[in-house]
Amino acid sequence: MVERLNDLYEKFKAKFEGVNGECYRVAKIEEIGNLAVKILANKGAKTIALYESPLSQAAKLKEKLCSAGFEVHTDNLFAASSQDDVGITEVNWGIAELGSMVQIAPEVDNRLCSTLVPIHLALLRTKSIVADVDEIMEILDNLPQIPGFVGFITGPSRSSDIERILEIGVHGPEQVILILVDE
Amino acid sequence: MANTQLKKEISEALQNNVLRGALERFSRLYVIAREKAYEGYDFEDLRNNIQRVKSYAADHIDEMIDLFEKNAKARGAKVFRAANGKEANDYVRRIAKENNVKKVVKSKSMASEEILMNEALREDGLEVQETDLGEFIIAIEGKHPSHMVFPAIHLTKEQVADLFTGYTKKKNDPVISKLVKTARSVMRKKFLEADMGISGANIAVAETGTLFTFTNEGNARLTSTIPRVHVYIVGIEKIVPKFKDATYIMKALPRNGTAQNITTYVSLYTGATEAYLEDGTKGEKEFHIVILDNGRRKILQDEKFRQIFNCIRCGGCINVCPAFQLVGGHVYGGHAYTGGIGTILTAFLTSEETANQVQNLCLQCGSCTEVCAGKLNIPEMILELRNRHGAKTGLPFTQKFALDVVSNRRLFHSLLRIASVAQKPFTKGQPVIRHLPMFLSGLTEGRSLPAIAKTPFRDIFPTIKQDVPNPKGTVAFYAGCLVDFVYPRIGEGVVSALNEVGYKVVFPEKQSCCGAPASYMGDKENAVKSAILNIEALEAEKVDYIVSACPTCTHGLLDYQKLLEDKPEMLKRAKVLAEKLYDFPKLITMLGGLKDKGDGIPLKVTYHDSCHLRRTMGVYKEQRALLAGTSGIELIEMKESDRCCGFAGSYSIKFPEISVPILQRKIQNILETGAEVVALDCPGCLMQITGGLDQINSKIKVKHTAELLLDKRKK
Ligand code: SF4
Repeated sequence: MVERLNDLYEKFKAKFEGVNGECYRVAKIEEIGNLAVKILANKGAKTIALYESPLSQAAKLKEKLCSAGFEVHTDNLFAASSQDDVGITEVNWGIAELGSMVQIAPEVDNRLCSTLVPIHLALLRTKSIVADVDEIMEILDNLPQIPGFVGFITGPSRSSDIERILEIGVHGPEQVILILVDE
Repeated sequence: MANTQLKKEISEALQNNVLRGALERFSRLYVIAREKAYEGYDFEDLRNNIQRVKSYAADHIDEMIDLFEKNAKARGAKVFRAANGKEANDYVRRIAKENNVKKVVKSKSMASEEILMNEALREDGLEVQETDLGEFIIAIEGKHPSHMVFPAIHLTKEQVADLFTGYTKKKNDPVISKLVKTARSVMRKKFLEADMGISGANIAVAETGTLFTFTNEGNARLTSTIPRVHVYIVGIEKIVPKFKDATYIMKALPRNGTAQNITTYVSLYTGATEAYLEDGTKGEKEFHIVILDNGRRKILQDEKFRQIFNCIRCGGCINVCPAFQLVGGHVYGGHAYTGGIGTILTAFLTSEETANQVQNLCLQCGSCTEVCAGKLNIPEMILELRNRHGAKTGLPFTQKFALDVVSNRRLFHSLLRIASVAQKPFTKGQPVIRHLPMFLSGLTEGRSLPAIAKTPFRDIFPTIKQDVPNPKGTVAFYAGCLVDFVYPRIGEGVVSALNEVGYKVVFPEKQSCCGAPASYMGDKENAVKSAILNIEALEAEKVDYIVSACPTCTHGLLDYQKLLEDKPEMLKRAKVLAEKLYDFPKLITMLGGLKDKGDGIPLKVTYHDSCHLRRTMGVYKEQRALLAGTSGIELIEMKESDRCCGFAGSYSIKFPEISVPILQRKIQNILETGAEVVALDCPGCLMQITGGLDQINSKIKVKHTAELLLDKRKK
């Protein structure tokens, strides 16, 4: 069980980094806050649009970020996400085979905080990493109904539209960071 | 578009070095990257499944649309069925008016380009913004996309910088990362202000009413998240029955399109979701789905073309098309669809006239059929377009005349004999000429063509001593025009090898041109004539096998079954012929192969796969084994060995400007191997490549496998 988890994690991490993502793993929920502070401070970020989720609340993320000096917005997220440096959301699954994150996000704020911002910081439970696309489609298919919005996100936004040269950060985030938590 | 216009656009495209460079670079990288992306995947299995689910949906289209509509509505979507572009555009205009829309953002939707939706919306004074980077660039340029996946691939960063400078009224440097930033900030404002978003779908799931959109830039996500009114334009061919059916397309589309394992974003929308409304509060958005027919049902009614519904618009076919790689998409004339599949879509959805012109660009090399995610046979459909067009309008007089001559065996053969005498002054004592005499003139622009042989194979054959004491059986040799009249030595090689495996060879005298030239030029009448002539001449019923040393002819002979569908007696005979017919290397291998021997003199040989042999017949190992098994021969593989050499029958006559650069790439790949001999199995390729090497005065020889085996084994 643990072995399988580690194996999936290793695969996921390699793929995630292969598409220019940054991947971190912590054991305890309480560690999320400090790690987030460290990462975001390093990037020189100041303002944050936080879409609250079970994980962010359990981690007391807002408190920790605020006390570390960040300006954190949790409402009026349309305005916030269009100006802030960072958006934080929780995602539902990871796909090891592709390094993709999968979010169920029918709520507009959830989507804005993962799309409009230059830096998207995502939270995910390590045990929610699945092996491949088939597995995730099976899971979705077995839900009582397909959610209003499901997004697969694989790295930061990109384009090769000019001279076929790959450029990161077009309309979506330029950086995608994921903190995985084992607890 | 008149033919002269097409020619003009081809020449412009060929002079656009940016376009050519970008397309060529991409085409080389693509093949390797695609292969890597499919590692661990069974592509055949994947595309069989795509074909299965898509054709199921096509066969049950009404039920599928009803189901989709019902399920999408149940989730709060408003669904409108548009029979044509005008209905779709009118509907969207009405929605815009009713919802007090001023500004529209669009993420990529080929269906909306097909029906010129932007133009329609602008008539109402709406501000419409394309948000896909490439689409945005060409919108400023005022052009249509030059590529299905990379719409602005024809432009350099310098040109893009100039366009952006003009658009933003601020100086833009030609630095790609900065240009992308400009696009981001220009577009960001548009997104935030937009009241309506318009999207295109890659998949629509009947069972759940879910729409899938694949993008890399994130513009589609913003288009569908910010505006309070969201409209999806969905062609009826996008439907799959079950939610999980989408998985197959998810796996194939990005791998085939951009050689990515998955696009950055795959977004699934099911019904209306939440948005910020006009008054700043959050609530359910206006969510509309326009299901577009616009000629698509007509495709379904056409047996020969309904496979188009299996297409997932991945662009894989375009990525490997040698003609497209040279000229890009603008030449294809349609304002939405380009390349081979684009030609067919254009024929049904936008302009039949345009399609009739650009279908000529197809080389019939079949590269696209190897990568197609929906298992479409594009070359076959293009040929069908050609035939229908040919039947309707007739061919130009000179072409028709040439084909009439070719299908008249006596006349054709005697002209060839006369030609062999008449050409003397042109051959400069070499086995190539730069001008063919008489009715074949026009063939030689930009290349050297072979001289007609002094003695045709049909006259040599009776003099060959076949030493087969206890023959295991009899093989009829179908030589085809080129072996018979230009390369008789290939015929000698064929006979010798067959004798060695214990078979006697007969040469049916009355055989004539296989009819492929007529087929390829869309002249069905003459093709049928040739078919009957050869079936009667070959009398397949009386021999064990029929051997051909020209895969184009083999293909042509196999196709008799299609040509004679409505002539049951002949069809029966065509089937017997098809069952006994094999290409030279295949037959020799089947009959036990040749015993390893050879003169032992070292010779570096590289091998070129002809399109028909490699792709239509799937023969590529056999000849390599025969060659490698001959002592002395060192086989060196060239890059892109199965890439078309640009000959393609009449193609090199009609479009020398495209055929020649394709040939040059082949020549370059040959030179890089350091080989002394290029072996191949198609006399057409032999003619083309010999001509190409002759133009650069290369010493490399080009030989048919049968001829090379003969040289190395029977000196
Ligand atoms: S024809 Fe085949 S390869 Fe071309 S776009 Fe359609 S599915 Fe893709």
